[in-house]
Amino acid sequence: MAPKEKMLLKGDINRIYDEEYYSEQKIKDEKFFIRPSAKRKLKKTGWFDIGMGIDLPFCIIILVLITIGTIMMFSASYAFAYYTQEDSYYYLKRQVIFVCLGICAMTFMSFFNYNKLHKVAPIILGVSYVSLIIVLFLPSINGVNRWIGFGAFNVQPSEIAKLSVVLFFAHWCSKYYNKMQLATYSVIPGIVIFGSIALLLFLEPHYSGIVIIAMLTVLMLYIGGMQTKYLIIGFAVIVGIVALLAMSGGLTYAMSRLDGWGQALEYTTEDMWQTTWQTRNSLYAIGSGGLWGLGLGQSRQKYLYLPEPQNDFIFAIVVEELGLVGAVMILLIFALLVWRGITLSLRAKDKFGKLLGIGLTSQIGIQVVLNILVITDWLPNTGISLPFFSYGGSSLIMLLAQMGIVLSISRTANIERQ
Amino acid sequence: MKNKENKFGKNTKRAAKGPNQRLIQRTAVLLIVILIFGFGAAICRLSVLTLVQGSELQEAAVEQQLKDTTISAKRGIIYDADGKVLAESASVWQVVMAPAYFENDKQREFAAKELSDILGLEYDDVYEDTQEHSYYVMVKRRIESDQRNEILKLIEKLENDYDCGNAVQLLDDYKRYYPYSDLASCVIGFTGSDDQGLEGIEYQYDDFLSGTPGRIITAKNANNTDMPFEYEQNVDAVDGNNIYLTIDETIQSICEKYMKQGIIDNNVLNRGVCVMMDVNTGAVLAMVTVDGYDLNNPYTLSDADKAKIAAMPEDEQTAAKGAALSAMWRNKAITDTYMPGSVFKIITSAMAIEENVIPDDMRFTCTGAVTFGHDIIHCSHTGGHGTQTFVQALVNSCNPAFVRIGQLVGMDKFVQYYEGFGFADKTGIDLPGEAEDSFWAKGSMNEVDLAVASFGQNFSITPIQMITACAAACNGGYVLQPYVVSKITDADGNVLKTVERKVKRQIVSNDTSAKINEMLGFNTESSGSTAGYVPGYNVGGKTGTSEKIGTKSISSFGEDYIASFCGYAPVDDPQVACLVFFDTPSGGSYYGSQVSSPVFINIMSEVLPYLEVKTAYSEDELAYIDVSAGNYVGLGIEEAKTAVEQDNFNYTVKGTGDTVVAQIPMVSSTLAAGGNIVLYTDDTSRSETVTVPSLKGYSVSEVNNIASAFGLNVSLVGAANSGVVSKTQSIPEGSQVSPGTVITVTFSSSTTVND
Repeated sequence: MAPKEKMLLKGDINRIYDEEYYSEQKIKDEKFFIRPSAKRKLKKTGWFDIGMGIDLPFCIIILVLITIGTIMMFSASYAFAYYTQEDSYYYLKRQVIFVCLGICAMTFMSFFNYNKLHKVAPIILGVSYVSLIIVLFLPSINGVNRWIGFGAFNVQPSEIAKLSVVLFFAHWCSKYYNKMQLATYSVIPGIVIFGSIALLLFLEPHYSGIVIIAMLTVLMLYIGGMQTKYLIIGFAVIVGIVALLAMSGGLTYAMSRLDGWGQALEYTTEDMWQTTWQTRNSLYAIGSGGLWGLGLGQSRQKYLYLPEPQNDFIFAIVVEELGLVGAVMILLIFALLVWRGITLSLRAKDKFGKLLGIGLTSQIGIQVVLNILVITDWLPNTGISLPFFSYGGSSLIMLLAQMGIVLSISRTANIERQ
Repeated sequence: MKNKENKFGKNTKRAAKGPNQRLIQRTAVLLIVILIFGFGAAICRLSVLTLVQGSELQEAAVEQQLKDTTISAKRGIIYDADGKVLAESASVWQVVMAPAYFENDKQREFAAKELSDILGLEYDDVYEDTQEHSYYVMVKRRIESDQRNEILKLIEKLENDYDCGNAVQLLDDYKRYYPYSDLASCVIGFTGSDDQGLEGIEYQYDDFLSGTPGRIITAKNANNTDMPFEYEQNVDAVDGNNIYLTIDETIQSICEKYMKQGIIDNNVLNRGVCVMMDVNTGAVLAMVTVDGYDLNNPYTLSDADKAKIAAMPEDEQTAAKGAALSAMWRNKAITDTYMPGSVFKIITSAMAIEENVIPDDMRFTCTGAVTFGHDIIHCSHTGGHGTQTFVQALVNSCNPAFVRIGQLVGMDKFVQYYEGFGFADKTGIDLPGEAEDSFWAKGSMNEVDLAVASFGQNFSITPIQMITACAAACNGGYVLQPYVVSKITDADGNVLKTVERKVKRQIVSNDTSAKINEMLGFNTESSGSTAGYVPGYNVGGKTGTSEKIGTKSISSFGEDYIASFCGYAPVDDPQVACLVFFDTPSGGSYYGSQVSSPVFINIMSEVLPYLEVKTAYSEDELAYIDVSAGNYVGLGIEEAKTAVEQDNFNYTVKGTGDTVVAQIPMVSSTLAAGGNIVLYTDDTSRSETVTVPSLKGYSVSEVNNIASAFGLNVSLVGAANSGVVSKTQSIPEGSQVSPGTVITVTFSSSTTVND
């Protein structure tokens, strides 16, 4: 017993937090083994840390990001809006409304008992399927069927699909947590749900949606308790397919089919040059930024060189204006959000809350990383927006609502500590 | 992002005791994967793009963000030594198109049609240009004001009726003009379509002349339309620098006039060269290649060439035209080599004197030939010159004597002096395309080679090397670097650079140089007009006739020759040297003494007074010196008679009036002393004429007698030497002229030096 205790004393804090661990180890000596939260409770009784409230640091990080994001969205869209909408504030006005609505949704969701979601998770998954099917029969926009219009709002079924996948697997894994070692409870549902959603997204088409759904599925199953060997097998299969493609020369073909992925700076054909226009100008913008950037509002690429700078490629304008230093600082805030979101979720009192919180927070991290890899031409240009930054009504509101769920989880995490 | 997970797999298994433990550990893995691998990769990629590829990407971005328009710089002016403009740029315009402004085919078709009509271009070509997505397509350069006005109207029409006035624009441009057209053409050169120098000074000094083009840089959005965030920066064009040549238009014109005459008189087949140089500085005062070409139309061939090419098969014509043009543009004075022949005896003599290998009492015996084993070297005087002194050998231009002198100097010294006089290197004159000499390789020269080299045969040099060496021989021994540009100023006249005399080395002593001057002065004096004698000046010089070896003969003599003359004046204080050189004469004679010497005399008789070189008339010459007629018009008849007598002229009165209303020769005309002034006292008598007699083939006194018998005046050139015979007269026999008209008669020796 002694070596184990010693190890614990040295202290993996996460383990110490874990109540179940204590019960398993049957350590009762409170005097010898004080839980830090309890210790803190004794020293200071701050409202944000313990008890009734939401997790304030997480909330503040979200508000900081949404503030920076809105400012940068305005800077990036200013010229584009002036030119296409004859009103420089066109996107700003709308985004501010969405932010307000989103914060309302977030506040609401933070009060909402997330445990109620346990039961509706399969229903939401069903709604997601329905919307994914409906969207295929709606008129396409720019050649793709991605949006369902509700008056001024456009909803992306793939956004709903992301939430529903996280929600469903959080539900599933927490319900069958002890059976997750079995393939029938982990791999099979994973393949069935991912496969069916991927097929529907493929028909839209929305490749980046497929990638994100795949990652979320694997992530949820992994933390949900799936055996590691399945993960390794699945990973080996993907590597094998890619290697096979590379050997047969199909990879280059696939890359060129994916809107000239990785070829933005080389002129091959006029068509390709036009296709890679957005990615190329994104690279120009990022390169122009240098270490310190051109200064807030000083982007030159936003003057119609980079099409729709307020959307997926907004971070290119951010780098151009704020430089590498500004970009890294923003990424650090995102990292802080992910860190805080995941660690607070771990404090949730039940499995469902933990899995749901981790899934929703990770989704933001995944989307930030993928977005940056897209704008830097390491991934094909397939429409991954940057959370809190990219312009967009429904997705922003949904994003903030999801953050509201995490905040709601944080309440129980605090309650648990109390 | 999942590949690292098996690394943590062991931990996972170990912690599998409790489900929560596993969740925590797997979450830790997840955090590491997202934050370290995911965010790490994103930050790395951003760092590479901003820091490593940043400047390159920024450059590409700036390139597309800035619209860059070039403003032509005005090319500098080329002046002669006297400040006369030899080459100048004048404003014209260029038409450019910004086809990106076209929005539909209707606009494109209209613009293409109008532009092709106004500018005389092919509709299809222009229409193709209108399809480009570009803001700068050159349509036509150098349009003049009438076409410009039409383009302005077109722009207005495009603006009003088609709403795309920006698509066609006019920019400033320049065109090069050469006021003297073919004067010094091979020196000045010309410019190409982009105002870049292609030949001569225009090429050599292109960097100075061309200036720096300006730019208008405008920041535009991707649609290139007005935005409230525009940025514009103008960089003014810096006009080119002006260049002052050492070449004097007056001297150049004199030289060209007589060289052209020489080409015609002697039916010269392969052009001629005349270089005049200030022997004390190396400045080139004139450099002529005849025939030159019109610098304003440098791609127009002479009629003879055109006819020759037209007669060729069609597939050869293009190549032939190119060859003919480059031959026409060649500055023969520096790009072509020739065998100097007897002119080189000046250099051989200088070596011998400097090395002091010829004692005063040494005599050279010429039997008409020297033998080296199987090789026989003939003297031009096949009968032999007999016994001669060194000076006589030079005057006679005796080859066997110079073979001997060469031997006395010795092979090593000969080569050393050859190099020392600058024949082995380019002279470094500031003109493009200078050729190199062709001499025996080190150590391969044998005694026969030395023998022929002593009188300038079997090696080739450029005319500019010859005159530079000659200048060194006469100026005290200083080998100079010849140059044609004396000064460079900026567009405002501030002097940027002045060229100073550059001495490469002193090859012979002042004493040697003085002796050479004495000998060559004697040569000219004793040989008269066949050796470049110019009345009133102490001229030194040497003739040369060299055979062209290795080329197919095209002249009437069966063999082709180069007739040259190199001389300078005055011998007691040399100022200017002049080399006259005709390649392949095919007229009456091919000797330098017959072909080149008269041209040299004509040139020097005009140039030396222009340069105010001090005169030195001998007593004999004073008898033949021309005097200026005074003004007698308006005087009473008696008064006039007295005035004429006072001026040492005779008079003839025509008419019955009381006052002189006209006189022939006119005031200030020059005529021989003791000439006849015809004084007219009324207008009716002025219609009287006399017929000009033949004045050729007579002695000086006979010419004087004939002229006075006809009531004409003469001006005598080259009359001061013994045994001269009149060769030319300025007004042809049979012409009707007023009494008293001055006819210039030139004399030359009846005997010739055949070298």
